[in-house]
Amino acid sequence: MIKVSHLSKRIGEVQALNDLSFVAENGQITGLLGPNGAGKTTCLRTIFGLLKPDTGTAEIEGIDVAIDPIGAKQQLGLFPDPFGLYERLTPREYIRYFAELSGLSASDAKEATSKVIAKLRLEDISDRRCKGFSQGQRMKTALAQAIVHSPSNIILDEPTRGLDVMSTRLLRDILIDLKNQGHCVLFSSHVMQEVAALCDQVIVMAQGRVVAIGSPEQLCAQTGKASLEDAFIQLIGTDEGIAA
Amino acid sequence: MNKIIAMVRKELIDAARDKRSVMAGLYYAIGTPLIMCGLFMVLIGQLTSPDDLKISITNPDKAPDLVRFLSNKGITQGEAGAKDLKAIELIISPDYAKQMNQGKGAEITIVADNSEEKLQNSIRRLEKQLQAYSAEMGSLRLIARGIDPRVVQPLKVNVHDQATTDSKGGMILGIAIFTMIYSVFISGMNLAIDTSAGERERNSLALLLSHPLTTRQLVLSKIIAVGLFALLGLVLILLVSKVAYTFVPWQELGFSVSITSEFMALMLLVGIPVALMAACLQLFVSFMAKTFKEAQSYLTMVLFVPLALSMAASYNIAPDVLQWLPVSGQQQALMDFIKGKDMNMLQLLVSTLGTLAIAVILALGMEKSLKSEKVIFGL
Repeated sequence: MIKVSHLSKRIGEVQALNDLSFVAENGQITGLLGPNGAGKTTCLRTIFGLLKPDTGTAEIEGIDVAIDPIGAKQQLGLFPDPFGLYERLTPREYIRYFAELSGLSASDAKEATSKVIAKLRLEDISDRRCKGFSQGQRMKTALAQAIVHSPSNIILDEPTRGLDVMSTRLLRDILIDLKNQGHCVLFSSHVMQEVAALCDQVIVMAQGRVVAIGSPEQLCAQTGKASLEDAFIQLIGTDEGIAA
Repeated sequence: MNKIIAMVRKELIDAARDKRSVMAGLYYAIGTPLIMCGLFMVLIGQLTSPDDLKISITNPDKAPDLVRFLSNKGITQGEAGAKDLKAIELIISPDYAKQMNQGKGAEITIVADNSEEKLQNSIRRLEKQLQAYSAEMGSLRLIARGIDPRVVQPLKVNVHDQATTDSKGGMILGIAIFTMIYSVFISGMNLAIDTSAGERERNSLALLLSHPLTTRQLVLSKIIAVGLFALLGLVLILLVSKVAYTFVPWQELGFSVSITSEFMALMLLVGIPVALMAACLQLFVSFMAKTFKEAQSYLTMVLFVPLALSMAASYNIAPDVLQWLPVSGQQQALMDFIKGKDMNMLQLLVSTLGTLAIAVILALGMEKSLKSEKVIFGL
């Protein structure tokens, strides 16, 4: 469970987060939906303690990130934007490295790496260096890194960017699978389709603020629109920065 | 601890596959001793076998004995227009033979431009030989008259050269030691940039910091990795030097220069704190820089400081205070060791502690800076 309360953060002249509060429950997929520049990435970075909020707190499983960053991060897996691959390592080495950094012992990390490689069907590339990988291969490697240590909470920053249909489907299946296992999945996006297809709960963000929270159906009902896209535009009051 | 080991291992694997990092260390460690050897060989060649001195001699037929004496000493009549002919003319007076026979001062004249820097050595060499010839003739004349020539040599100057063979080579070894100490700075440099500014440029720094590890663990593992790489460069340059320096004909200078196992052990021991400081310095500067390129240009400037310290120590142009400073203090101690002198242990200790203190301060600074958003995201 990820709980964010009254987060505010000013970066330079921009009020990136403005009294932001929401809860992402276990066993649910929560989508953070907002136009470009709404503060989605800032919000996720704050949850990881990379950015310090001016006010407010972020809690993972009840652990305040600001007070016990190590304990809180132990419960997290991150699929970042950009991926941050090491081009000279193979996916197997890369995944195992981050598994060990997440606290797994050397032997456990090795085993978990083999499992996640099989799960994501990475065998054909698992021992090739990451340099020259396609976007889909990079996504899979980064995703494997995020879930290798079976964290109870998984955060994905714009996971479907630049993916083809096959890769997007694979990603969806994995996320649904994680949800069914009782994990808390939180991802940010500005793509309507994937949010509508996946999310149990949608948090609509604009200018660092929560505009609306609810299931896609609830949001449609609330605005009286037939599609999530129309509901979204109604909610944020502009169609700027939206990808259909 | 496990996390640090995992990080160091990853950094080393990553670095070993990075051609740029490996090559930078290799080129320096292998190339420098070879270049030094080449330089020393040329230097020794010039010092030990001075070229023949070609000058113009006028009326050589008037003083065949003097001309023979000079040519024995490598000073000969050069062909007109030849390239190696020096602009020095030795004019033997037409009355030379007559004056010599009569026991008068036989006249010879040196015509040369004394203000010309390049000619100075040659002129002095010619004068010296003429003096020697003159003294020899004088002694012969005294003996012919039944007088002991020592009567006209009231002073007998004896010179005892106290320099041991190794201490003569100290100057040359000073330069060699300098190249070795500097290898610690060169070998780890690319890795330091790659693992800090490069890590941020590839967007993996934020990902790394999103994992449950402290910035202290992160900083420590990076220092260890870069320090190990630096020491690897040092080991390599020591091994190459040990082999390469045996090919230089030191005996022609009358002393020997050899890289002994004791020296290598001491160099490595002294090198460890220097390597740590080099790693901290390079990582610190690279983390402060926004990009890989920026880090490269900053580091080139920063590395001038240890370069200057080390150079100053090896040329003895520095004030005594340098002997207590990092890098130059260690250089001084190593030079004393190679010259066979006693090392000043206190100086070595102080400079080593100073080196470590700088390393710790930089490491703490880095730990603190990695908590700042500006450094993490290169804002």
